[in-house]
Amino acid sequence: MWSWIIIAAIIVILVLFVVGIYNRLVTLRNQVKNAWSQIDVQLQRRYDLIPNLVETVKGYMNFEKGTLESVIKARNQASAAREQLAQSGGPTEGSLKNLIGAETALRSSLGNIMALVENYPQLRASEPMQRLQEELSSTENRVAFARQAYNDQVMGYNTYQQEFPAVLLASMFGHHPVDMFEVDTPEAKKNVKVAF
Amino acid sequence: MAMDFWEAQRRARLRTAFYLALFVVLTLLAAVCAELVLRYVAGDNYEPPLPLLGFGFLAVTFAVAAYNYLMYKQHGGGYVAESMGAYPISADTRDFHEKQLYNIVHEMAIATSLPMPEVYLIPSEEINAFAAGLNPKNAAIAITEGAMERLNRDEIQGVIAHEFGHIKNADMVISLRLAAMVMGFFFALYIGLRIMQLSQFRSRDSNGRGNGGHIMILAALIIIVAGALTWFFGTILKATVSRQREYLADASAVQFTRNPDGIANALRKIAKDQYHDMPKTGAAYSHLYLEDRSSIFATHPPIEKRIAAIEGHQYEEKPND
Repeated sequence: MWSWIIIAAIIVILVLFVVGIYNRLVTLRNQVKNAWSQIDVQLQRRYDLIPNLVETVKGYMNFEKGTLESVIKARNQASAAREQLAQSGGPTEGSLKNLIGAETALRSSLGNIMALVENYPQLRASEPMQRLQEELSSTENRVAFARQAYNDQVMGYNTYQQEFPAVLLASMFGHHPVDMFEVDTPEAKKNVKVAF
Repeated sequence: MAMDFWEAQRRARLRTAFYLALFVVLTLLAAVCAELVLRYVAGDNYEPPLPLLGFGFLAVTFAVAAYNYLMYKQHGGGYVAESMGAYPISADTRDFHEKQLYNIVHEMAIATSLPMPEVYLIPSEEINAFAAGLNPKNAAIAITEGAMERLNRDEIQGVIAHEFGHIKNADMVISLRLAAMVMGFFFALYIGLRIMQLSQFRSRDSNGRGNGGHIMILAALIIIVAGALTWFFGTILKATVSRQREYLADASAVQFTRNPDGIANALRKIAKDQYHDMPKTGAAYSHLYLEDRSSIFATHPPIEKRIAAIEGHQYEEKPND
């Protein structure tokens, strides 16, 4: 009789324990998803700003058509990578790599344009350009801060999965370590320099 | 060497806990002392006009503190900002500085994963800023026009990140609670003075009442002394806790921006600032500001010490700072 009660109690405690781990994993995964959607919003904002930038500098930069075309191309590629990632329901290993590559290319061609803007004092001082630069540099910061927050959440989620006791159950419940959103080339680590 | 912001935050939190405990002990001690002294002086004829006076003092203190706290809680941070003459900034502003400020606040909201607070500008030439509101959902951040004009983008970001540190660490709750307690002590002092007036009036009026009047005066004196002492030490303790929270907010600013230069250079400019024209609506709000003249009552540590802490220099800390 007593042994049955003890066995039942142990089973109940074990079930509660497993439920706790399950719920914690779900909470952490949702936090990661939420942090990703923050990045997504800011990336979209940047892709929307780039046509504005091209329109603004076009009048001043007739000679650098190639640069402008390359930034539009990079923007479209990054935007497509973002779409593809969104459609697959969140970052997977391949789609994230794809996006990081496209983002790196976009950053470097944006950097080229900003360097060229320095050569046109009149353009640099113009009011629309100043507004645009503020919006661009704020967006750069937002992407960077959103990425920082995302990586912090990912680290928490991954660490919890790898620690005892969750390590016994995580993969059974369909949880796997998630890749961080890292910028992989040293030049991409610098923000696009936006001077005032 | 850059600042170890995690370690700095842990240290500041520990010290806060210690000073808060000291605060409660101080209050209890004052109440027990008042009661004991009254019993001792009155001797065998212990007939207090108000039974258990010391505990009455305690009850009044906490009741007043609780009342003030609830009053603060009813109004969000925007109310505090507007009562100081600040005006709100909206997301679709056409002004360049206002838009930049809005953007910076938004960036910090993303970095801290906090909701976007209300943003206010204070019409003042001084470089200063504050955060108000008891929880992140109704918080407000205000910065002076002078700060927007004379700080660069990184420095403004450092200042805004410092204010976000106050929101994230719930410093407004702590300091308003402390301010409410200090006000409670002050209220006890006031009651003591009133009782004394009343009993003088009465003993002049009717001479045949024996030593009832004396006991009343004694009771009033004890309340006055207890109230004055706790008010005095309470003010110092409140300032001491507040200074720890400033170090914590500085360390948090470095965590959020990962850029110690922003807040450090902003503090350097503040140290050299010529203007001091902030609207002062009572000392109750002094803890909100970014900086304060240094003294034992100051709510902020000396700027040089804060810069040293941010940049990770060696500096000797005095035990009461």
